Amino acid sequence: MKGTWMQWIRGIVTVRARGGEPEAFVNRALQGGVELWSIRRASGGELEFETTVRDFFRLRPYLKRTSCRIHVAGREGMPFWIVKIRRRVFFGIGMLVFFVGLYLLSSLVWSVQVTGNVRISDEQVLQAAKAEGVHQLQWSFRLDDPAALAKRLAARLPDAAWVGVKKKGTSVVISVVESTKPDRGPLLSPRHLIASADAVVTDIQAEAGRPVAKRNMRVRKGDILISGTLGGDASAPPVVAKGKVRGIVWHEYQIVSPLSEKVKVYTGESKIKWNLVIGGRALQISGFGGSPFATFEVVQREEKASWRGLQLPIGRLKETVLEVRQDERTLTKEEAIAKGIQQAKADLMTKVGADAVVLAEKLLHEKTDNGKVYLKVLLEVEQSIVTEMPLVSTQGE
Amino acid sequence: MSMRRMNRKLQKLTAQLLELPQDVVYDLPRLTMIGDRQLYIENHRGVLHFSSDRLRLALSKGELEVTGADLVIRTIWTEEVFVEGVIKNIEVHGM
Repeated sequence: MKGTWMQWIRGIVTVRARGGEPEAFVNRALQGGVELWSIRRASGGELEFETTVRDFFRLRPYLKRTSCRIHVAGREGMPFWIVKIRRRVFFGIGMLVFFVGLYLLSSLVWSVQVTGNVRISDEQVLQAAKAEGVHQLQWSFRLDDPAALAKRLAARLPDAAWVGVKKKGTSVVISVVESTKPDRGPLLSPRHLIASADAVVTDIQAEAGRPVAKRNMRVRKGDILISGTLGGDASAPPVVAKGKVRGIVWHEYQIVSPLSEKVKVYTGESKIKWNLVIGGRALQISGFGGSPFATFEVVQREEKASWRGLQLPIGRLKETVLEVRQDERTLTKEEAIAKGIQQAKADLMTKVGADAVVLAEKLLHEKTDNGKVYLKVLLEVEQSIVTEMPLVSTQGE
Repeated sequence: MSMRRMNRKLQKLTAQLLELPQDVVYDLPRLTMIGDRQLYIENHRGVLHFSSDRLRLALSKGELEVTGADLVIRTIWTEEVFVEGVIKNIEVHGM
């Protein structure tokens, strides 16, 4: 038996005693309070026993009285172990340095990552983090509680709606949720709104600026409708005039309209092609061979299979090839004129905007010549008549 | 002399009356044996002889002799011994 752990801590000495009266020695030592255990006879007739280091040094008087002689046969336990360690002091120091180094290196912040930012740059976030003490090679025990850190980071980043800080081992992840802001709209320089054409004003609504024109007022092209300068004071800063002004404008159109018209006619001949559709691909399964028609149109109709309201990626595609013939049709003069005016109106709408309203149309002149009708039309149109004129600052820089 | 005898008688009477174990009253050894391998002896009065085949212990009156093989005193206190080994024979002399 090697003794209990308490004895191990105190240090166990194995002692061999010879000569004298070992039994008497044992009795006296025990009476003196010395702790002995594992007493046995060695092969040579010597008494072998174990005792603690402290008791070993108390053996001397009992030995003298019983004329026993002892020698130490073995040492074990912590005191001896410490001595051994002391001999390997540098090994011990190295071990300590290793563990301390490992601990210190693992308690450094090695990387700071930023996620979730789009408009806010990484640098901005990292700079704010640095101001709060979150940066590379920072001791992680010097970092604040992540929640408090996130709160203060959010205060430093006004464009972020929410900031989260998470510590993962030696890296810190800062997640940013940006606040959505409404678009500011384009920046405009101060301006007047002026008339784009000669017109009679029918409606004027000024959002910003000073309305100059009034309803039923005749304006010429270039006249100021809504002014960007406020009041008579020249020192007042000019504004961006904004608003809607509508007026009646007269447009004169010269139109040439032919007396014949090309018409597309189906001959009634057709050919059907069937396709099998799987996923996004079609595989032709009938109606092979080139198109038998010189001019033709193709009408496609797809039917997809479905099962219990669930659309399946399988279906069929019917392609109908229809023969087409171009016919020429002669128009009467009235039809040609109506068509010409219609074209003129369509052209006008694309020029002045879809919100224009044609109030009246007047045929000024018409002439039929060479299979064509030559027309001159006057269109009375109510339309937006504003255009912008930038205000050049008269004040020197 | 008669006083001592009286004392003894009184002791014996009390022991019988209170049903006290004999070892407590008369300072007798108490042995606990586990098979032939462990022996626990209380109330001894010191080691007289010890070798790997024989252990003699002094008692308050007489002596106890344990014979066997590979005997080892595992632990020993002033009044108790714990012996291990192959125990073959236990004898009590002069009680």
